[in-house]
Amino acid sequence: MNIVACVKQVPDTEAQIKVKGDGSGIEEGGIKWVMNPYDEYGVEEALKLKEKLGGEVTIVSMGPARTMETIRTALAMGADKGIQIDDPALYTADAYATAEALAAAIKGAPYDIIFCGQRAIDDDSAQVGSILAELLGIPQVTFATKLEIDGTAVKATRPIEGAAMVIATSLPCVITATKGLNEPRYASLPGIMKAKKKPVDIKKAADLGVTGASKSKVAKFTPPPARPPGKILCADDTPEGKAAELAKLLREEAKVI
Amino acid sequence: MELSTFSIGHEGREVFWNAEHFEPILFMLTFVVMAIFAYGVYRRWLMWTAIGKPENRTDDRNERIKALLKNGLLQIKTWSDPYPGIMHGLIFFGFVVLFFGAAFDATEFHVAEPLGVPFLVGKFYLFFSFLMDLFGLAVLGGVLMALDRRYLTKPDRLGYKGVPDNRPDDAIVLLIIAGIIVTGFIIEALRISVTWQQTPWEVWSFVGWTLAKAFTGVSPEAAKMMHKWVWWIHTAFALGFIAYIPYSRLMHIITTPANYFMATRKPVGQLEPIKDFENAESFGVGTIEEFTWKQIFDSDACTRCGRCQDGCPAYLTGKPLSPKKLVQDMKEYWLEKAPGAVASRKEQLMGSGEGSENINPKLKALFAWLDKADKIVDENLPKGPEPTEKAMVGEVIGLDELWACTNCMYCMENCSAAIEHVPKIIGMRQFKVLMEADFAPELQLTYRNMENNSNPWGIGAHLRGDWAKELGVKTLSEDPNVEYLFYVGCAGSFDDRGKKISVALAKILQTAGVSFGILGTEESCCGDSAMRGGNEYLYQTMAQANIEVMNGYGVKKVICSCPHGYNALKKDYPHFGGNYEVYHHTEIIAELIEKGKIKIKVPVDDVRFTYHDSCFLGRYNQLYDQPRRIIKAIPGARLVEMERNHEKSFCCGAGGARMWMEEHGDRINDARAKQAIDIGAKTIAVGCPFCLTMMSDGLKFHGKEEEIVALDLAEIVWKGMGLEEEKAPVEVCEV
Repeated sequence: MNIVACVKQVPDTEAQIKVKGDGSGIEEGGIKWVMNPYDEYGVEEALKLKEKLGGEVTIVSMGPARTMETIRTALAMGADKGIQIDDPALYTADAYATAEALAAAIKGAPYDIIFCGQRAIDDDSAQVGSILAELLGIPQVTFATKLEIDGTAVKATRPIEGAAMVIATSLPCVITATKGLNEPRYASLPGIMKAKKKPVDIKKAADLGVTGASKSKVAKFTPPPARPPGKILCADDTPEGKAAELAKLLREEAKVI
Repeated sequence: MELSTFSIGHEGREVFWNAEHFEPILFMLTFVVMAIFAYGVYRRWLMWTAIGKPENRTDDRNERIKALLKNGLLQIKTWSDPYPGIMHGLIFFGFVVLFFGAAFDATEFHVAEPLGVPFLVGKFYLFFSFLMDLFGLAVLGGVLMALDRRYLTKPDRLGYKGVPDNRPDDAIVLLIIAGIIVTGFIIEALRISVTWQQTPWEVWSFVGWTLAKAFTGVSPEAAKMMHKWVWWIHTAFALGFIAYIPYSRLMHIITTPANYFMATRKPVGQLEPIKDFENAESFGVGTIEEFTWKQIFDSDACTRCGRCQDGCPAYLTGKPLSPKKLVQDMKEYWLEKAPGAVASRKEQLMGSGEGSENINPKLKALFAWLDKADKIVDENLPKGPEPTEKAMVGEVIGLDELWACTNCMYCMENCSAAIEHVPKIIGMRQFKVLMEADFAPELQLTYRNMENNSNPWGIGAHLRGDWAKELGVKTLSEDPNVEYLFYVGCAGSFDDRGKKISVALAKILQTAGVSFGILGTEESCCGDSAMRGGNEYLYQTMAQANIEVMNGYGVKKVICSCPHGYNALKKDYPHFGGNYEVYHHTEIIAELIEKGKIKIKVPVDDVRFTYHDSCFLGRYNQLYDQPRRIIKAIPGARLVEMERNHEKSFCCGAGGARMWMEEHGDRINDARAKQAIDIGAKTIAVGCPFCLTMMSDGLKFHGKEEEIVALDLAEIVWKGMGLEEEKAPVEVCEV
């Protein structure tokens, strides 16, 4: 089975994000970059599938030189090879241009199933997996929390408000992974060592025949407004008095009840 | 010498009285017994050397001999536990004296008398007689104590989880020893009953003299006949004892002192780093063959005494881990595995295997001859257990045992056979983490946090220096010309409770005029939890990052407020080129107080303090005294010790990466907090942020957080210095 897992390198959730003075992006200095957590579920599912059915797992990622570290992380977990798309023309690519580049890279070799994270935790667009499926002309199931494959038949579970939905489709397809699908493994040390020697193909936009033309553009980044100070309820010192005051504020000021 | 040659003033006795003609037979039997003994040791030696990786434990000979004399001959370690110490001491020293007695007898008979210079005469003889009887009684007393302990008192430590672990061998050994002594006394009594009228001085052989009265009325002929019989029984016991040594628990007479000789010479808890990650094929210990030969030998030095188990925090709170069981399970597995390995070991010794080039041809011939003997013996003896196909890690040693260890070092510190448990546990953890990546999910999260933010909590690394922002503490990047680096560590930088310790310590140092700085965001996690949790790779990454920064600033002296970082920086960083003088803050504070640089002014009103020894300060670094000196410097403070203190202190439960793992069942910290509550402590002083968290949580568990407070010594001292006005609780609703 030929399995592809797309991964994105994102700032660590704890990293301190500072917007550049001109609002064109974020300051990258001092940021710890990690694999997008939802993509980890995709990689893990790809590896489990490989362990069960055999085959090969290819990691595809787009980003500057630092992205290689994230590809190596996936290879350390057990993937076999990688493709890195690194072209300055693509550094500001939107979801469409990203999916287009990924599709072009994936198309170069046979594939049976493609995993993506349901969204990246940096821009939260949740579009790349879907666009990728459309560009490749194959079915997709998003937000998968369970996946069963029998021959070419695919059954994926997807949470919906208060219930679950089981979607049947067939290979080849795109699955976007979310929390609950699995528990991503911790890379073993031999895995980390072997990953250093696994092949990673570096491709430019020209190699893939894409231009990186985006359909949308980020106009400006702004930091979230500073949190306003809290309010201490002082009108009455009894619990009843405080509760009444709180209810009043929630109704009249916050207008939530 | 004839009986008639002795008289008052020239006392003595006829050595080999009534047994003169048994001498040649005795000689022959002794030779056979020595051969059985030597053969047993040889067979065991094959097993010791058949499995395990090489490790040099014969360097630094003088120190090793000292350790051997101290604990092999003087039994220093066994005394640390009074009852078993006395019990073993009576048997051991009794035997040593009796052994010399027998040697004196033999020398008198075979050497001194024929040369005409007998020495077992006169006052010396009387003293000698008295001593022999006294130590004979001592051995008997020791055996009775042992029987009482094993079969009547039955302390839990001689078993496992309330089930006694008494084996036939245990009883046989005690009976043989008792048999030797009892028959010895009977022989003596029978001899005296025949000769007492000519030898009134035999009253010095006070046991024999007293017992002789029991034979009053027995005719001299009958007594002499009985004497001959009992003499043979005595001889059978004594020779049987020697022959039995290598085939029974008595082997510890050899293996335990040998283990003292071969005990590690490294600082307590220092771990051998894994070298060459790039080219090594396996990491940690996944099979018994991956232990070093010494780690395996350890289990043959174990006497199942259970001292380790007696203070193991995991065992005492109901976890499956018992250091004794771990060592014994390893031994059992080794005994199954060794015969197979011995075959290839023999090939090496006899000449064809790898590594046989250096063996003398004559020795090779001897081994070939012995091999033939082995085959005959093996064909005629019942077969040992069939080797089982068990996984060393996971089956022989259960994973719940492996991960229950807090690395508190109680077992190693208190083992009377110098067994090194903790490195074995870490070795097996390394296998689970590095090779199989199969370990608790919460620990995986901890490691990811350490990888991404260089702290186990996973709080943004950029916040590391924030606790010091308002204190005017400079980083080394701002001013590298300071005497000390204050290595804050993760708890002191990120944990709200830990940050208070850092603040208090910084203020103390500033007040005392100590020149110091911090690394701020350039500091990394010390890596202790990764190292002890088996993630050596991650640990070395952290250690190297710290060392690079510290060496870059030319750091020479370091103050640590967390004993985990203190221990790692002091003992393990030198492996990677990080050589610093490392101090724990209690050392620095104690010195500042003694030099008068700081003064604790605010008296406490007769408050009962107790001090909880952090394992990484106490057992790991022998810092028992400094923290207590600090408490004693507080006017009005009363220091009361918990029952378990100093070397026998009880862990808080957070060491060995346990801080980051779920604890099921009774919690260690709750048990420790209870011990402090029980002695009526009002303040639990600690010197470790992990201990502080654990003790605070334990107090909450018992609902005592309002009455009893757990504080770090730095906090106690800073408060006691009275330089900061106590802030009233913030009044938020002022009108």
